[in-house]
Amino acid sequence: MSDHKAPISAIARKDISDAKRDRFILTITIFLVLAALASLLTGAIAMATDVATYNDAKATLLALGKNADTFAKPEFYPLRLLRGAIEQIEIIGAVLGILTGFRAAASERGRQTLALIMTRPVKQWQFLAGKLGAGAALLSAGLGVVFLLAALLLAATSGIGLSGNDLLRILIVWITSSFYATSFFLLAFISTLWMKRPANALLFSFIVWLLLVLVAPQIGDTLDPDNQVAGGVFKQLQVPKAEQNKIKASYATFETVRNDIEVSSITKHYERFTFAVLGIKDTYTGQPLGPILIEKSGDFFWIIFATIGLTGLMFSRRLKSNRLTKE
Amino acid sequence: MTDGLIEIQNLSQRFGKVQAVRGLTLSVNRGEVFGFLGHNGAGKTTTVHMLTTLAPPSGGTARIAGHDITKDPLSVRRVIGYVPENVRLYDTLTTRENLMFFARLSGISAPERRVNETLEFLDSSHLIDRRVGEFSKGMRQRVGLAQAILHRPEVLFLDEPTSGLDPMGIKMLRDLIKRLNNDFGMTIFMNTHLISEIAKTCTSIGVLSQGTLVYHDTMESAVRKYGDDTSLEELYLSITPVTGQGEAA
Amino acid sequence: MHSFPRSAPLIIAGQSVLYIFRERTVAMLSALFVVLVLISAYLGWSATSTVNAIYADAAVYLKGIGQTVPANPVLDISPLSLLRNMSIYVSLIGALAAIVIGYQLIASDRKSGVVPILGTRPMTKLAYARGKIAALATLLAALMAVAAVISVSTFLLLPQFTLSAHGWLKLFGFFGLSYAYMAMFGLVALATAAQSRSESVGLLLPVTLWLTVTFILPSLTSNIHPTAAINPISALAPAPDTPFFHWTGYLVGPFSIAESFKYLSAGLLDFLPPGAVARSAISPLADLAIAFAAAAGLATLALCRMDMTRGDYNV
Repeated sequence: MSDHKAPISAIARKDISDAKRDRFILTITIFLVLAALASLLTGAIAMATDVATYNDAKATLLALGKNADTFAKPEFYPLRLLRGAIEQIEIIGAVLGILTGFRAAASERGRQTLALIMTRPVKQWQFLAGKLGAGAALLSAGLGVVFLLAALLLAATSGIGLSGNDLLRILIVWITSSFYATSFFLLAFISTLWMKRPANALLFSFIVWLLLVLVAPQIGDTLDPDNQVAGGVFKQLQVPKAEQNKIKASYATFETVRNDIEVSSITKHYERFTFAVLGIKDTYTGQPLGPILIEKSGDFFWIIFATIGLTGLMFSRRLKSNRLTKE
Repeated sequence: MTDGLIEIQNLSQRFGKVQAVRGLTLSVNRGEVFGFLGHNGAGKTTTVHMLTTLAPPSGGTARIAGHDITKDPLSVRRVIGYVPENVRLYDTLTTRENLMFFARLSGISAPERRVNETLEFLDSSHLIDRRVGEFSKGMRQRVGLAQAILHRPEVLFLDEPTSGLDPMGIKMLRDLIKRLNNDFGMTIFMNTHLISEIAKTCTSIGVLSQGTLVYHDTMESAVRKYGDDTSLEELYLSITPVTGQGEAA
Repeated sequence: MHSFPRSAPLIIAGQSVLYIFRERTVAMLSALFVVLVLISAYLGWSATSTVNAIYADAAVYLKGIGQTVPANPVLDISPLSLLRNMSIYVSLIGALAAIVIGYQLIASDRKSGVVPILGTRPMTKLAYARGKIAALATLLAALMAVAAVISVSTFLLLPQFTLSAHGWLKLFGFFGLSYAYMAMFGLVALATAAQSRSESVGLLLPVTLWLTVTFILPSLTSNIHPTAAINPISALAPAPDTPFFHWTGYLVGPFSIAESFKYLSAGLLDFLPPGAVARSAISPLADLAIAFAAAAGLATLALCRMDMTRGDYNV
């Protein structure tokens, strides 16, 4: 190992063993795993119900001597069951990122060990890189457990098993999820290192989380006029599609604002990308992976660049001497 | 039994398996400045926590100005003042706001006037409208002391009052303790691990080791028997083991 | 000798409110809540007027091709439902703001090292508990009052939305309900801040509870998708009609207080979907009342058992 890497790995390894013994991080990880699996299970039960309803209806028709081929068999795409798990990662995965980032910085400041580390022959970037490495490793390990268990559960409940293609999609989503959670790690880590009081930094991170993960998608969702009337406004007015588009065109600014609010949120990009790759969104269900990746690369790179941007921000500023301790 | 203002009878405190204070019996008379000496972890803070009604004892009892600490803690609180170690107070509030709060809590009828008088007594009137967060340790200590004497208690408990102060701050504090004792007749119970402080400030001395009182005498008599500071230090080292242990707080 | 301060809870409450006003995090979250209430009023207005405008355009088109123009769907919607997003903001930001306020009320005492001093003042721990609970109640009331003023102004300033006497009553019922819901989280935060050794655990325990009731339990008792929690309409979508979800709804329902809150809010703000039924073993109102009483009991107990020798938190 080169001289540059030794301090980085020393810091990262210390942080990983520290976090493993930190019951709180472990608890939140288990919490995320359970929440994701519970969502998966409820999704599977709901799906099984649909299948049973179809089978019953089909049996009834056959018993009556009618042709059952006329109504469509519900197609069973096991990956679509991951929707609940993905939504839990959107919300709780981000919280896990924030908590890991907060602990990574607050523990050093609270124990006064930051000053000790900074008086060792360690460059600041090495310290930060070690911290980031440990955080990213912990988060992707936690998410890895989520996806591993989810895949096993999917294979067990679907009865048809998962294809190589399915596993590849899960792998891509796992990597994306790791970047997503790491961006929240960076948010909390940077603010906890920079702000005067660590506890305030934690709250600041939660406020950003609230705005990005919940409020922005909520506003975007609510501003959609079609969501204001049960069943959709155009459907109720019985306006044909071509005319709908003409009417919609005159509200283009409104629609742009709505879309801009939505896309300002990393969560929305994460959702759009993962929902497409896993075929959760109807238009992508059963579609080949290649074209989906090309179409959705914008969303993917948004997440990657957000993480890289925050990493750049972290390295850009010197640690202040008055931020070495808790207050 | 002596007619003490503080009467401690067989007082004990246990935290799980650790016996922090063992059967402490002690009496401090009105007007004394009592120095409670012991290593870090000897049980001094635990004792003060029990005497100030912050923690109930696991055995024994004590009376302060005739009030039982377990049976009548509210009456005890009316006659005591307490300055914890490293007192900080509300740092975004001003000295006045901090002191007005504690004055009202102590049931003082004209709190504003009392706050002014107290700060004047402590030569700290200039601090009144400044936020406590801006203060040095010495200044905070003075506001902490002001808080404890607003209601003119009969007994003032000080926990390691010189901790973290510079020599100037220590001298100022020492003078204040003497003035409080002379001007208001306050009885002072002071925890410390510094023998020099006891010798310069106190009228009586008690030494605690591993939760047990191993020495108790008037300062006058102790100096008569053992001589000056240096000899006192030798006495202290001879009666207390080098490593203190046993106390949780 | 001085008199015994009978008004100790009042003194504690007054000082706490003063101190909290200077806490930037509390100010930040409260401001955010107020801004979102404003946005919620704007969103309701803007979306409704957009639908109105779309209706006008569509009417021109339908008349042009000789078709009958159906009634404006906006007219079917109660004006109260204009504020339906409020129910989401209360359960998201309102509850979080209450947690932060509750936490800071105790943490400020612990971090400034005054807990041992307070413990030696002539007042009972119950007086301290009452003071802190009163401070929480006052601060949340102020927050709710701002929200109420904004909502009332919305109705007074927009002539196209008028409320009947019954409508006003329901609106104030909603504010009362929201107040109790937020206070519940604030009370839990008072308890955890008083009892925890670590600063972050004290704050994160109520946050975890909030995450659980807001995003996890509803996925077992109503809409199975966790992000439905951010949409007032889809949050009320029923769980699939199967024995499994009937049982989870019945058994988990009593703990799913966010859902009880949203169900009652939807009733008060007139956007409860027709045919919506609460499947829980306990009615939503009784559920919230029990949860509130439990939180108040927990806070009182935790504050009365607080270790007054305790100073600052660990990390």
